[in-house]
Order: sequence, then C-alpha cells, then structure tokens
Amino acid sequence: MKRYGVFLLAILVLVGGVVFAEVKNPDTYIYLSISEPDTLDPHYAYDTASGEAIGMVYDNLIAYKGESVTEFVPRLSLEVPSLENGLIKDDGKTYVFPLREGVKFHNGNDLTPEDVEYTLERGILTDPYAGPMWMIIEALFDYQTIEDMVEDKLQVAWSDMVNEDGTLKSEEYASKLADFYNQYIDPAIEVEGQNVVFHLVRPFAPFLSILSQNASWSAIMDKETCVSLGLWDGEPDGWWKYHGLKKEESPIYEQAIGTGPFQLVEWDRTQQKLTLTRNDNYWGEQPKIAKAIIWGIDEWSTRRAMLEAGDADQIYTPLQYLEQVKGIPGVKIEEGARITITALHFNWTVEKGSKYLGSGQLDGEGIPPDFFSDVHIRRAFSYAFDYDTFIEQVLQGYGFRVPSVIPKGLLGFSENLPMYDFDLEKAKEEFQQAWNGEVWEKGFKLTLLYNTGNEARQTACEMLKEHIESLNPKFKIEVQGVQWPTYLDAYRQGQLPAFIIGWLADYPDPHNFVFTYFHSKGVYGTTQGQAFLDFARENLDSLVEEAIAETDNEARQKIYEEIQTIAYENALGITFYQPREIYPMRDWVKGWMFNPMRSGEVNWEGVYKEE
Amino acid sequence: MTFYIIRRLLLLPLTLLGISILVFLMIGLLSPYQRLATFINSPERLKGADIDKLVEFYGLNDPLPLQYGRWLKNIFQGNLGWSYVGKEPVYDALVERFPYTLELALFSIFPILFLGINLGVISAVNHNRPLDHGLRIFSVVGWSFPDFVFGLFILMIFYSVLGWFPPGNLSLWAEEVVKSSAFRSFTGMTTIDALLNGRLDIFWDAFLHLIGPVLTLTYVQFAFILRITRSSMLEVLQKDYVRTARAKGLDERVVINKHARRNALIPVATVSGQTIIGLLAGAVIVETIFNRTGIGSFMSLAAQQLDYASIMGGTLFFGLILVLGNLIVDISYAFIDPRVRLE
Repeated sequence: MKRYGVFLLAILVLVGGVVFAEVKNPDTYIYLSISEPDTLDPHYAYDTASGEAIGMVYDNLIAYKGESVTEFVPRLSLEVPSLENGLIKDDGKTYVFPLREGVKFHNGNDLTPEDVEYTLERGILTDPYAGPMWMIIEALFDYQTIEDMVEDKLQVAWSDMVNEDGTLKSEEYASKLADFYNQYIDPAIEVEGQNVVFHLVRPFAPFLSILSQNASWSAIMDKETCVSLGLWDGEPDGWWKYHGLKKEESPIYEQAIGTGPFQLVEWDRTQQKLTLTRNDNYWGEQPKIAKAIIWGIDEWSTRRAMLEAGDADQIYTPLQYLEQVKGIPGVKIEEGARITITALHFNWTVEKGSKYLGSGQLDGEGIPPDFFSDVHIRRAFSYAFDYDTFIEQVLQGYGFRVPSVIPKGLLGFSENLPMYDFDLEKAKEEFQQAWNGEVWEKGFKLTLLYNTGNEARQTACEMLKEHIESLNPKFKIEVQGVQWPTYLDAYRQGQLPAFIIGWLADYPDPHNFVFTYFHSKGVYGTTQGQAFLDFARENLDSLVEEAIAETDNEARQKIYEEIQTIAYENALGITFYQPREIYPMRDWVKGWMFNPMRSGEVNWEGVYKEE
Repeated sequence: MTFYIIRRLLLLPLTLLGISILVFLMIGLLSPYQRLATFINSPERLKGADIDKLVEFYGLNDPLPLQYGRWLKNIFQGNLGWSYVGKEPVYDALVERFPYTLELALFSIFPILFLGINLGVISAVNHNRPLDHGLRIFSVVGWSFPDFVFGLFILMIFYSVLGWFPPGNLSLWAEEVVKSSAFRSFTGMTTIDALLNGRLDIFWDAFLHLIGPVLTLTYVQFAFILRITRSSMLEVLQKDYVRTARAKGLDERVVINKHARRNALIPVATVSGQTIIGLLAGAVIVETIFNRTGIGSFMSLAAQQLDYASIMGGTLFFGLILVLGNLIVDISYAFIDPRVRLE
C-alpha cells in the first residue's frame, strides 16, 4: 500500500512538473501592449508601436550595439562611418556608407544604393505634418520642415504655390520646385558606386543616431516596390504632389516590405494585433523565434491574466501595477531606464482668456498673466517639491533625479551640476522676495491642470499644492484633472500657468532635449510664453546652436553644462524625475535584452523561449 | 400593417439625418484644438507637431455647416470617412466589428430571456415564500453588480484559476485556420461560420471564448427581465379570469403556463426588445475585459478620442439598429396581443 502511495506521488510530481515546465507556444513570442501602430509607413510613423513594427520589418544602415546608445554596429552598411576609418569627412559634414551586397527585400528585389537614396529623399519630400522627418531635415539642411526650407530658398510661401489637392497655383512654380529639388535635395544624398554619401550643411553630432536601427524614419525601403505602389516616383518634376498627404492616404499605410529579420503577415486592426514571421532568407543572423505577435489589449487585468496563464510571454505594465505582477509564479520582472524625463515648466506670459489664473491679478484671488516671469516664484516652486519622497513613494523607487532636462546616460549630463532640493525654508524666502514682497503679503490663487489618467502627474501636482499652501494661508492652488482634449486646447492656447509634460528621446543626444525645452523654436519652448521666448533668444538659443555644431565632445559637454547652469539659476523648470520601467515576462523568456533607444520592449531578433 | 411598416421605414432616413445633425453639432461645440485630440491623442504626440498647421490641414477651423456638408457629401458617395481609432475606413471598422457584437448578443439573449422569464414566473408563483426571496436576492445582486467587477471575477475564476474560458475571440491555432483561405467566412460570426464550414473544433474553441462574456452579461442583465416578469405575473395572477380558471378546476400548471404567463409577457416583450437593442449596441465593459473586439469598445474609444468620423458613422449605425429594433418590437406586439392594431 505504502509503495503504491510513493508511486502515485512520483507520478503526480512528474505530471505536475511536466505541466508546469511546458512552454506554451514555444516558437511564438507574444507581447501584449496597449496600442497598435499608427501607420506602417516609416516616414509617417512617430510613435513607439509603429516604430517597433517597422524596426522588425526594415533594416537601417547601422544599429546600436547591444545595450549601448553611443556605440554602433554595421547593419545594411558594411561599416560604421567614423573619423578614424575616413568615412566621416570634411570636418563632419560628409558621411559615407559602403552598402552591403547581396541583400534582398522580402519580395526578392535586390538592395541597391539607389534604394537608400530614394528612401531618404522620399521621406524628406513627403515630410508629413506631425511626422518625424524634421530630424533628417534638420540634420542635413538645418531646417525644421521641407515647407520652411522651400519658402526660405524660393522666397514664396508654400500655400501660395501649391493648392490643397497638390496642384500648382501657377505653372511657373513647377520648374522652380523641380529646381529646388535638383539644387538642394538631390545633391545632399548621392550614390557613388556601392557607397551612399550624405552631405550635411554643417556638422551635426547626432547624425548617426538619427540613422540607427529603431529610427523608423531612416528605415530603408525598396524603390521599385514603392514606385509601383504609387509613392513618389523619384522624379524632380511633380514631387510636391506627394507632399502633405494624410497618413491614411499613403499607399504603404498598411504594408511593409523591407529587408529585415521579420516579415509582416497581417495587421489585424479589429483585434489590434500584428503578426510577423521570421524572414528565412535574412542576410544576417536569423531570429530564434518563428513567429512574433504584438497584440494591443487595453485592459490591464486582461493582460495580467494572460501573462499569468502563460498565453502571453511579456506584457506592457505601468509602474502602478508593480505589486500586482510581483510574485506571479513563473514570471520574472526585468528593469530598464529609457531616455526620458518628466518635468514641469512655467508659462511666463499666460495668454488672455485663461480660466486658470483666478482673478487675473495679484489680489490674493488670482495671479497676473506674467506671474511666473519672476525668477523668485519659479525658484520658490522648485524648492517646494519633495523630490525624494515622490520618487520613493509614488514611483516606489523606480526613478531618479536629474539636474535639468538632460537625462542620465547622455552627453552633457553631470552629477555635479546644482539642483534644487526640497527646502520649505528657502521656498518661503523666495516667495517673500517675489514681486517685491507683494505675493507674500497678498497671497495668490492659481489652477494646476493635469490630464486625467496619469496618476503620477496628479500626485505631483497635489504634493506641490500641499507644500506651497503650507507656507502661507493666503496661497491657494487648485489641482484640476481634465480630459486630454481640454488639456490640449488650454495648452495650445497658452492658457496653462504651468504644464507637466514628458519627452522621450528621438535620438540619444542632449540636443534633442535642450532644443525641445529651451530653444525659442523648440516644441515646448514655444509654449512657455512671450517673456520666456525673449529670455531664450537672448540667453539660450545661440548656446544651443553652438553646441550642436561643435564636433568635439568635451567642448559640447561644457556648453551643455553651461546651459543647465543657466536653467538652474533661472529656475526654468522642475524636472520631477527620470523613470525606471518594469518589464514583466515569463521565466521561460531567454535572450531578452534592453536598449534604451528601442521602440517597444522586446528585442525580437534575440529572444527565445526555453525552460 | 404593411402601410405602417412602409411609413416607419420611410421616416428612417429623416431620423438618421436628424441624429447626424445633432451629433455633429455636439462635436462642433468643441474648439478646433480640442478636436485635434483625435490626431494628437496623447502628450507624447505633441512631438514635432505644428498644431495650427494640423488644425488647418484637417479642416477643423472651417465653419460648421461646411464641415457637415463635406461629411454629408461623402456619405452620399458611400464614404463614411476614415476612422482614426480603428485605423481603417469607418465602414470597414463597423462591418468587421459588428459580427462579434451580434454573436455575443445572440448567445446572451437566450439565457437572459430563458432565465429571466422562467425564474420570474417561479418567483411570482411562490410569492413571498423562501424560494421567491432567494431568487429576488440572487437577481438583485446580479442587477447591482457592476459588470466590470463581475466580469473580472469570472475572468479570474474561469481563466486564471481553472484555465477553461480564455479571453479574446479565438485561440491562436484556431485563428490561423479561420484566417486561412480554406475557411470561408459567411457571416463574420465565428461560431456560425465554423458550423457552416463543418469545423466543430473551431466552433468549440469560439464557443469557449464566448462563455465568459455570456455568463457576465447574463447575470447582470437577466435580473431586469426577472423582475418585470415577476411583477407582471403577480398582477395577472390576481385577475378574475385566473380565479375563474382555477375555480373550474383546471390544472395549476395549465393555469400558470397558458392563462397567466402569456398575458404577463406583454410588458416583458417591450423590455426584452430594449435589452436586445442594448446588446446589439455593444457591451463596452464586457468587451474590454474579455478582449472581444465588438462595436461597443470601438465606439467608446472613438468617443474618448473625439474621432468624429467614427462617432458619426457609429451613431448612424446605432440609429439604424434602434429604429429597426423598435419597429420589430412594435410589430411583435401585434402577434403577442391580438388587441394591438398597427395603423
């Protein structure tokens, strides 16, 4: 009897063990995200979900090496250009990429240097609104959009030349626009034998990062396929007809034919599901998994349940759910830090009609529109945020402080730069000096807005409110959550007294952050009010421009430190934190690796499943 | 009655036009920047975006009548516009998602009505006895359970713990089969298509994926039918003709099933009609939790992102369902109750 018992137990353990050890769908990697791509056209794609898919299907010229964001490895190019190997020339104004031979697109076409030239020129000329192409245009030509460039070179406004439907207002512009292409765009990217050569108007330090794998805007497409599908035909004449189309009008909106390690099988938009298979003819190292699924499932509990059941291998998990994934049997949690910050910036000149200024005067019931143009107010706010408690309790330790807007891991970052610490005494002193003491005497009232759904930002606002109100009973801050459309509206109209917003690196270079926040033409620079713009033009713009044209890294470091010191002295913003992220996945996931510049959370070429 | 139906159908386009104008006006009350949230749907999308250019590009600044005219013109050309939420034309988005909603409605409506009506009758017959109390508590609990709580509960028990009923539409292997060229799609409803293709394994897989949402919907919805049936039944049981029937010595079962129940069903028919129409409009929460890609979750996303083409398209579609559904309910009265005349 006893022997049977042992035997039975052994069977149970065996069966149980086998059941437990079984890897579900061993050849398929299933990642659950919360979104699906916006488009598969590389030149329109500017979100991580699109970038992830495009990065699997297409190759770029070069790629980041492993987990590094500063070292590169060749991809479609045979070498990474550098000053040492002579492929970066003319003091950093010419880049040469010797192209790999024998590479085939998924449809069997050969990769040629002309494909590279065509792809990037098509991107530059298409330059969709709210798209990513400004990066290439800035790098090559020092403009932000192709329309700006045309207007500047031809001295005619774009809308005076081209109608909304792409026809010309007058035939005389046809030759002018074609000449524009011949004179500026065409010579910038040239084919010399098997080499592709880029000519920049001035040195641009982050150029290699902008071309590197995961930058969907510089993924290499097949000219023949593109032309046959109805993209730009490669001719100088009529290129303007392909500019300014809506994203859904792109013929490759839902198609992707690249040279990359995966082939697109289907983009099921009903299920928000992308299915890809391994490209068995890939020129490089084959991915280990045969099939990849990226599936948008918006509901967190559903994602979690699928991970727990093993039907998903990895799931997108906002930090607030950390406790819910800890301790699920068979699940491990990896970590990483992206190159991103979350910061509060002030509006130095709030536009008329704002509902968030109270009475609009410094009478204890409101604030004047230029409230934040006083440096003491900005300093007082900077001292009144409890940085460490926020990181410890709200972020559960998953984050760290950075001095200004340059995240850790980038050139220009330094631990030695001054930072504002939480110090209510100093905050009080600053408030007492602000507006010649009037603020302290009369008090103020303002509204801080956050867009609902973001708990960390809400808590940040509430903490700021609590500490500032504790200083003086006449200080009143109202924290108000609004839907994103309302927030966008108020933000755009310049009616927010202060705004909290994050920035995720487009490419790992400080320029991307410093320009964005501090240059008078930066996306967030332009929304900090007229007084700030004046300040930026006088104190920051030239430094930002100097830093990007500088090729010596030590000299660049110095300039960026100077910019951050100015930011500190003038209390330009409150950088709350640089976050760390969590990536829960099954134990059976092997070969997983994190690169901060990767779009998405999976290194599809390297992962595999094994118990 | 034919005339009545024709007249109601002729009114349909007018009703839809009215609905569309109302909804368009509501969207139009928002500022162009607010409506730009469709295209810039999160703070991250502000990157590289020239907001004023985008407003102009998408014509959000144009006068409302012009915008409405543009939309209407497209509608007459059979073009419902582009859905930024669905990432495909609005028409495709609706047509692809509706079968999932219809399928869920079909599978839910029978248990809802069956349980609701039968338990309602039992409850009424056992008026104020323990069985009645028990059923009433059971139904009140279901009725007051928020569907997101009960849905998660079901998902946890039957998926996480027992592993029986997974979320989604289909398993991976089944999906591969359904998407292959060998599998012909007739209705878009996987269970029915599977039967028509003679694939019992696919049917079974699709059915397993349906049970969770059906259980949830049934439990939170049958209570309403039960309560209507019960009170209507109680009223009927007081009627003279029931007493007469009992007095002449009819079997109690015949009294209840034939004389009382049929008469008690008239208000139930009205409510059932509403329930069916409601189910066809999609069950947002249940679809979201069980990751069923129906029309409800799609419309809720469209509304959140102010995707006006999707909202307008969806509204027209719902309007159509509502008008036709109500028409069918009205017609069904005539069959249930011969006293009703449709003119």
